[in-house]
Amino acid sequence: MFQNLDVFKTAMAMARHAGTQQAVSAQNIANADTPRYRAQDLPDFSETLRSTMLTQRATRARHLNGAASNAPPAPIERRDTVDPNGNTVSIEAEMVTAVDAMRAHDRALSIYRSNLTLLRASLGR
Amino acid sequence: MSAFSDALAVTSSGLRAQATRLRVLSENIANVDTPGYRRKTIPFELSQSRGSEMPQVRAGDVTLDRSDLERIYDPDHPMADGGGFYDGTNVDLIIELADAREAQRSYEANLKMFEQTRQMSSSLMELLRR
Repeated sequence: MFQNLDVFKTAMAMARHAGTQQAVSAQNIANADTPRYRAQDLPDFSETLRSTMLTQRATRARHLNGAASNAPPAPIERRDTVDPNGNTVSIEAEMVTAVDAMRAHDRALSIYRSNLTLLRASLGR
Repeated sequence: MSAFSDALAVTSSGLRAQATRLRVLSENIANVDTPGYRRKTIPFELSQSRGSEMPQVRAGDVTLDRSDLERIYDPDHPMADGGGFYDGTNVDLIIELADAREAQRSYEANLKMFEQTRQMSSSLMELLRR
């Protein structure tokens, strides 16, 4: 189970994704009243997981099927209702996204911590 | 983790912009009875600050509302013209109050995000503790 510590990697990637999502939501909410601002959104973590995690080990960055980078996915435009001033932010939707991000972050950290505890217990420390 | 500091920076830029907006609104409301006063408006715009990739928000330059001033009939008023009229303001209290309501709502949303981001980053720090 603990040959390459994939659980930690996945948990950390999830926490990082949640952090980025929180930042994107914060950006949207800050710009909720800015004319012509288009709301941003991140793809789900599960979508990025398939492409970056649980793949073959890469020796080069451009290796076939290799895991390229740990960079979070680029934001995409969220298409909701458009205000008369061209702003597409919905504060309610952002709040939901932000709470989701926070819960995902907490979940990732709990997984990380409990695996750490497991590792420590097996080492007898 | 830089995502959190980005989030805090962009959130505080939102708080600052909404507070500036509220200040301009209260100037308008305070001057609702000042003869000849033109309503001030303040546009929000994106600003790119150094050290952060996130487009922040800031309140732009104050502009004056060009719409017509209210004509008030009061022949006894010292500023009244030949016809007995003088210029009032073009401030509409209802509009200003509705705008203030929206500013407050956005301010609160930003504050919530600030608090939540802070909570997330402190729970990350908790990992370091045994």
